[in-house]
Amino acid sequence: MSYKFLPFRFERLNREEIFLSNEVGEFYFISNEEFQKFINYMLNTSSQTFLDLKSKQMLTDTDIDPVVEMLATKYRTKKSFLNDFTSLHMIVPTLRCNSNCIYCQVSRKEATSGYFTMSKPTAKKTVDMIFKSPSPSIKIEFQGGEPLLAFDIVKYIIEYAEWINLFKKKHLEFVICSNLTLMDKRKLDFFKNKNVCISTSLDGDKDLHNKNRPLQEMSNSYDIVIEKIKLCRSYLGKDRVGALMTTSRFSLEHMKEVIDEYIKQGFNVIFLRSLNPYGFAKQKRDEIGYEIEDFIKSYKEAFDYIIELNIQGTLFIECFASLLLTRMLTPFSTGFVDIQSPAGVGISGVIYNYDGNVYVSDEARMLATMGDNKFLMGNVNKHSYQEIFNSDFMHNLISSSCLECLPGCSYCAFQPYCGADPVRNYSEQGDIIGHRPSSEVCRKNKAIIKYLLELIRRNDEKINRVFWSWITRRNILEEKL
Amino acid sequence: MKQLEGNVSNLRNSIFGRITSKSTLPFLPNKSILLFLRKGGWIFGKYAAILNKSPNPLTTRIPQVYNVTNADLLCEGDIVLIEPNGKIQVLIEKNSDNNCLFLTNRCNCSCVMCPQPKSGEGVDQGEISYDLIGLMDRQSKYLGLTGGEPTLLGDKLLDIIRCCKRRLPNTRLELLTNGIKFEDFDYVKRLARISHNKLYFEIPLYADIDSLHDQIIGTKGFFKTIKGIYNLALFNQKINIRVVIHKLNYKRLPYLADFIYHNFPFVFHIAFMQMEIFGMARKNISELWIDPFDYNEQLREAIMYLYLRDMEVSIYNAQLCVLPTELRRFARKSISGWKNIYLNECDECLCKQECGGFFASSESIHSRHISAIKDLDN
Repeated sequence: MSYKFLPFRFERLNREEIFLSNEVGEFYFISNEEFQKFINYMLNTSSQTFLDLKSKQMLTDTDIDPVVEMLATKYRTKKSFLNDFTSLHMIVPTLRCNSNCIYCQVSRKEATSGYFTMSKPTAKKTVDMIFKSPSPSIKIEFQGGEPLLAFDIVKYIIEYAEWINLFKKKHLEFVICSNLTLMDKRKLDFFKNKNVCISTSLDGDKDLHNKNRPLQEMSNSYDIVIEKIKLCRSYLGKDRVGALMTTSRFSLEHMKEVIDEYIKQGFNVIFLRSLNPYGFAKQKRDEIGYEIEDFIKSYKEAFDYIIELNIQGTLFIECFASLLLTRMLTPFSTGFVDIQSPAGVGISGVIYNYDGNVYVSDEARMLATMGDNKFLMGNVNKHSYQEIFNSDFMHNLISSSCLECLPGCSYCAFQPYCGADPVRNYSEQGDIIGHRPSSEVCRKNKAIIKYLLELIRRNDEKINRVFWSWITRRNILEEKL
Repeated sequence: MKQLEGNVSNLRNSIFGRITSKSTLPFLPNKSILLFLRKGGWIFGKYAAILNKSPNPLTTRIPQVYNVTNADLLCEGDIVLIEPNGKIQVLIEKNSDNNCLFLTNRCNCSCVMCPQPKSGEGVDQGEISYDLIGLMDRQSKYLGLTGGEPTLLGDKLLDIIRCCKRRLPNTRLELLTNGIKFEDFDYVKRLARISHNKLYFEIPLYADIDSLHDQIIGTKGFFKTIKGIYNLALFNQKINIRVVIHKLNYKRLPYLADFIYHNFPFVFHIAFMQMEIFGMARKNISELWIDPFDYNEQLREAIMYLYLRDMEVSIYNAQLCVLPTELRRFARKSISGWKNIYLNECDECLCKQECGGFFASSESIHSRHISAIKDLDN
């Protein structure tokens, strides 16, 4: 035995090649024959494969300790998103909404209803709770319902948070997730001078958007949102107005139009999101849902189209791919509440409902509106920060959401790029550990990761340039290299 | 470094000081050396020595060197060392941005391509450095600390850096070191505590594979250097990596770039350097020589790999005509003035102004692809 293995995982990429990755996400493509030699200690120590694998720290024939130390340093870096604890704090100021989206995941209430809105004392307690987080940067995101239906509370929370922050001196920002129908100059005047970003929903062109996201009063919500996006931009600037899309069954065939619509409206980022099976989306699955394989197919086509647009010189980023690529190709840390290990539930993001209930994630709150309080952490009016964030339940939840020790994930070669979702596991499969072979999320993530790996493997100079423009957030598409 | 010569009178020991040509000020500090370019006349003031261009000595008791060849090369503010045999070494050139202090000729590596291998006894020049730093112009842009291996001076090096911070707070200070000493966490801690924010560490890394790097530096240093880099990074020090390219390591340049990016993404700058053919490099030339043109492919891959990743990357000591067009913008003029030459061929080149040219030692051995660029598009 002339060399020793260092930890690595493997997965077949295609008939000729196997994909190897190590604990920190560095990878290597190896042919079948070389792989056989590698695992049978038959590699010649002066061969190219041997040296490459040594450089990637998957084997060594000399010192072990210093290599392990290097890996440890890189591992700490990769996991450093955990250092600061919870930084994303979502608040549901009201559950009332004037939209009538076909896939509503939160089980919204009528706009005119007298209940379901946060009271001032609860809002105050919520902000106090948020500032107990040790994180040096705090992002408060207003979800709904439609938060602008409770503008008074939103305003109160922003003002009170800024007041508290005079003493706490954290990096504080706000996001309003709104359908914008109720946005007006008065509200924008207020938002303008605060560190507020707007996140709205745009599902595609007029037909598709109106089909997915009609209002309760009328069906043409498209014209309103487009007009209001322009209004917001004129007050806040382009960078502070973003849009998200959700894919319904009707969107699957029209991904290109969705992308064209985003470009037409001057966005350079899109997040191709599949439906989350909560609320209406779960009840009406037959009508608006789809097989995850159909989504994957659609995603790939859309992604190819986006790459082509970029190669032609239009910088346009697909967020999910950009996140995965950053994980695959850089040594840096990328926490992302929905897909990280350990999962972001409570420790990276948390949501405060209008009634003061605290849930581990938006999906956990969706589950609660369907009657299951499994992921209720506590209530700001009744419990202390310690009781809410440091409970046995939380400890158990987090230790059950580390990919490193989940069945099906622990030996997966894509593990360094993926994440755990205990809430989804619970709601789909009945327990927080979950069952990977029948998991849609697993199939989706694996398929997309594999697709990206194939593109990386091509080592096409044009595609590489697109990827690195996305990752480094600078435009090098047109540069003469 | 620049050297001049002349005949000596009244000189028993080595003297060093700063050149001045002002002769009428009566109370100059005694580290001033008068550069006497006139035909005759009186000398006032207290000089450490006089340099005299004319073939005859002046009548004075002050140590002097007369009949100095090329005295015109000296400038007001240059710092020189005069040896009893009449040799004048220009230690610091006022108008140069490449000044270096050679702190020692001792080294804990013996690199196969070392341009300044240790000859004879180990000599440290720590003491003289303090005076030199004190004499330097406070507006100097750059000062290199080199050797040998400067960290072998141990705590004295820390004093020198402290001295630079005090006397030359605005001067970019580059410490050329193999980084092995920084394996000592405590030493790095004391170094970081000086908190000189203009201090850069220039650390060579020749390969991504320990055995190859160690073969090149002639000792087991790879993991010590890496530990050193990590220790420096822990204290947020500014680290640059230097890669000298030759036949032993050119094949793995792209993998080295990958290794650097994944293991040291925090470094400020990475320089790929054409080898200077001097000292050990000349001696081991058959083992080391590869025409720089022949590693263009690997160099290109490495540079583009790092450029895409938004890392600062440069090519040192390379001639523009040898580089592929797309790499020319990464080339820097990096060869110190006193040993920088151009070939006759270069006179016809459109890019001579931007080109780094050659080491004087490369006059006889250089790429066979040197040819004047006459069309900027190619």
